[in-house]
Amino acid sequence: MKNSIILFLFIFLPHLFFAQTIISGTVTDERNVPIPGANAYIEGSYDGSSTTESGMFSFETNETGTQTLTVSYVSFEAYKITTSVSEMKNLQITLREDVNSLETVTIAAGSFSAGDNSKISVLKPLDIVTTANALGDFVGALQTLPGTTTVAEDGRLFVRGGDANETQIFIDGIRVFTPYSPTTENIPTRGRYSPFLFDGITFSTGGYSAEYGQALSSVLLLNTIDEPDQQKTDVSIMSVGVGLGHTQKWSPSEPKAAWNKGSSLSLNVSYINLAPYIAILPDRNNWKRPFEIASGEAVFRQKIGDGLLKIYGAFDSTNFALTQEDINVPEGVALKLNNQNFYTNASYSQKLNHGWSIFGGGSYTYGNTKVGIAEANIKDLEKSAHLKLKLKKRFSNRFKLDFGAEQFITDFNEFYDEQNFTAKIGFNNNISALFSEGDIIFTRKVALKLGLRAEYSQLFDEVTVSPRISFAYKTGKSSQVSLAYGDFFQQPENGVLKFTNNLVAERSQHYIMNYQYAANNRIFRAEIYRKSYSNLVTFTEETPSVNSVFTNGGDGYAQGLDVFWRDNESIKNVDYWVSYSFLDTERKYKNYPIAAMPGFANTHNLSVVGKYWINDWKSQIGFSYQFGSGRFYTDLNRPGFLQEKTGTYNNVSLNWAYLLSQQKILYFSINNAFAFKNVNGYQYANTPDASGNFARRELLPAADQFFFVGFFWTISADGKDNQLDNL
Amino acid sequence: MQNVFTYLTIFFTAVIMQAQTDAAVSSTAAPTKYQQGMQKAFQLWQEDKSWEAANVFERIATAETDNWLPPYYAAQINIINGFSEKDGAKLKAQLDKAQNFINYATAISKDNPDLLVLQAQLYTVWIVFDGQQYGMTYSAKASELYNKALALAPNNPRMILAKAEWDMGGAKYFGQSVEPYCKDLQRAIELFATFKPEGEFYPRYGEERAKQIQAENCN
Repeated sequence: MKNSIILFLFIFLPHLFFAQTIISGTVTDERNVPIPGANAYIEGSYDGSSTTESGMFSFETNETGTQTLTVSYVSFEAYKITTSVSEMKNLQITLREDVNSLETVTIAAGSFSAGDNSKISVLKPLDIVTTANALGDFVGALQTLPGTTTVAEDGRLFVRGGDANETQIFIDGIRVFTPYSPTTENIPTRGRYSPFLFDGITFSTGGYSAEYGQALSSVLLLNTIDEPDQQKTDVSIMSVGVGLGHTQKWSPSEPKAAWNKGSSLSLNVSYINLAPYIAILPDRNNWKRPFEIASGEAVFRQKIGDGLLKIYGAFDSTNFALTQEDINVPEGVALKLNNQNFYTNASYSQKLNHGWSIFGGGSYTYGNTKVGIAEANIKDLEKSAHLKLKLKKRFSNRFKLDFGAEQFITDFNEFYDEQNFTAKIGFNNNISALFSEGDIIFTRKVALKLGLRAEYSQLFDEVTVSPRISFAYKTGKSSQVSLAYGDFFQQPENGVLKFTNNLVAERSQHYIMNYQYAANNRIFRAEIYRKSYSNLVTFTEETPSVNSVFTNGGDGYAQGLDVFWRDNESIKNVDYWVSYSFLDTERKYKNYPIAAMPGFANTHNLSVVGKYWINDWKSQIGFSYQFGSGRFYTDLNRPGFLQEKTGTYNNVSLNWAYLLSQQKILYFSINNAFAFKNVNGYQYANTPDASGNFARRELLPAADQFFFVGFFWTISADGKDNQLDNL
Repeated sequence: MQNVFTYLTIFFTAVIMQAQTDAAVSSTAAPTKYQQGMQKAFQLWQEDKSWEAANVFERIATAETDNWLPPYYAAQINIINGFSEKDGAKLKAQLDKAQNFINYATAISKDNPDLLVLQAQLYTVWIVFDGQQYGMTYSAKASELYNKALALAPNNPRMILAKAEWDMGGAKYFGQSVEPYCKDLQRAIELFATFKPEGEFYPRYGEERAKQIQAENCN
């Protein structure tokens, strides 16, 4: 009897035996809004269902005992609960937003990102090279961003009232000690490194991470490409020289040792000689030997297991000789320069278990500059190294911690040789640093970054501690506000350290408030800041010398407003951006008798860059306009110091890239198309003439205009790639 | 540059139509849990409930940890739907999800030409979304993937078609002749006639599309 009942139940109510359990619940977000379409299922089984419009789900399962229920939905963190299936009834499940999302607030105070890898790119990789006035110089493109001052004769980055040496450049996190090629006083310098080896650029005009030190004003972070897209050869024939680049990839599928997950090598060589150009279009300089630069770069990348080894090397040699005009020397001053610079950088990064990752790297710079001024020969030899080790622990999407140590080593020597006088001066400057930084994302709306950096200078026997803090709050769907504060220290420059070590580090403090709006290919940013300087180096002579008295008694401030607007949406095929900077700054340093606005700073800077793609012509036309208000200089014929202003600076540049075919591009550009006459400053005579008047001479650029024609040809297996992104 | 790639959207609508025909696959023996699950997913996809289909593929993927097909289709749905997504933040979340499925599938099946082509299609979504920003970097990456996929499976008509179509798009944009690629298309069509998928539920789309492109571009 008993048996037949069981049989009856078995046949007609099988679920009693196969234990069909019903699993149900409701899925909402953190604001209690139901989430439809979420996927709820028992992990490892086929049982599950999608949630309904009201966020409800219900399904049957044959699984028994303890199981894991997963609820997943795009842009939310997956929810998991492990318990007995019988407990999985009428569950109230709240999904947390995935903070690894575009909608999450980003700490934007002070920094501009360029590249695909950042959430909000102010500049795209192409921009670095297609901006009309930049002529392929990555530094030139950054000068169209707010916070920079146009110092046309110099070419380096002057950020928010800071001197050019207050900006440090890092490649793959490792410092570059001599980033610029040397030039004459009236030709702007260029960055040494070719932009197309980099795929990510972050330019910070203040308040940057504790990982970076030895920069009072700004850091520029360049990342080399991790893995090149394809094998190719690039040929460039230009009105100023020739270039050749090649990328070779070794595929991991080729039979090799098991640890070899693929490697690649990119080589790039170029030779620039301005002699033919100057023969056709002479400039204001009296050249003995026009500019000649030979350079080579190589990046080797090797994947080792989960790690990546990158080795970067760059060599360049610059030569020129000319007679430089000088108000005090009627026949001019003979100047010849020979510079050899070698830079190498190696880094290794690897993801470890449990959210840890490690980064280690080092760089070595060898810079040898020989300058002949009049009868004197000066030889500078700089050997510098930087070593860094960094560990990162990712506790969750919402909390990350970085810490590391680094060491800077500089050995500088100068040999001075005149007819009856020789001298050797030099110094060793070793700095050790520890840093740590935590990134906390509370919600998609609120994020905080806290950092601390400590440095020890062996030269000064001094320890400095710099806190850094930044905070971001999302005010709307597309807008956010960020705040940042930081303390920054930097050793005085080599020109001072070679005469004295009886000093301490110069110091600056940044306070930044940033507003950012980004939506539909439009970005608006406005940033106000205050930067105060202390412990600036002062000295008694015109330029530092053995006889100078040095102190840390200088100070100063810079404050202002930076505005940026970029719009790639409103006008079809047109992409443009506008930057405006207002700067109020004064400082007392070097041999300044009073606090004054330095000659490299000005009050208003405006830059407008536009690009127009004409489909029928297969052409991109580029336009840029740079405006800078006058800069101060000292008029010796009137009382006062830095009391007069030069005229305004204006420059309209145009370029045209024409795609002859998929892989051949013809490129033209004109710098200063309307030939505005820009006076950068004045040089006064050392002694007054008979009537007591100091004569002066205008400091003009070597040439008002510059023309460039180039032909760029790419050879690759797919027949598609071209060098448009290298122009 | 955006214009170069808009034509690709058309291609992917075709992909959906083709992929759906897979639902018709059936087997004579009693269907296994896996077969039932896959058939259910393809059926939902055919009924235009692609997100529900993606959810089913995701569930199967957690149960069948050594089969690359469920994550492949889960990724493909996210990618195809990506072509019509206009909100950058949503698109990123969706493609991140697709990328996770591709990574998961690639860990199961290395050097799989279908997964390489799917990865190239993911990049193409970004190119179509914002050609100016992503065109240069991602088109080079996509080209490399098409080359690699074809090198791995030189006689697979779908790889021949994918690469030929990609190349034709570029040639058209630059006003060059698409003629050189017609013979590749012809070869793909001939191979499709005898093409046997490696197994049940394996990707099999492409024949219709190849014929359509041939009719439009080649004489």
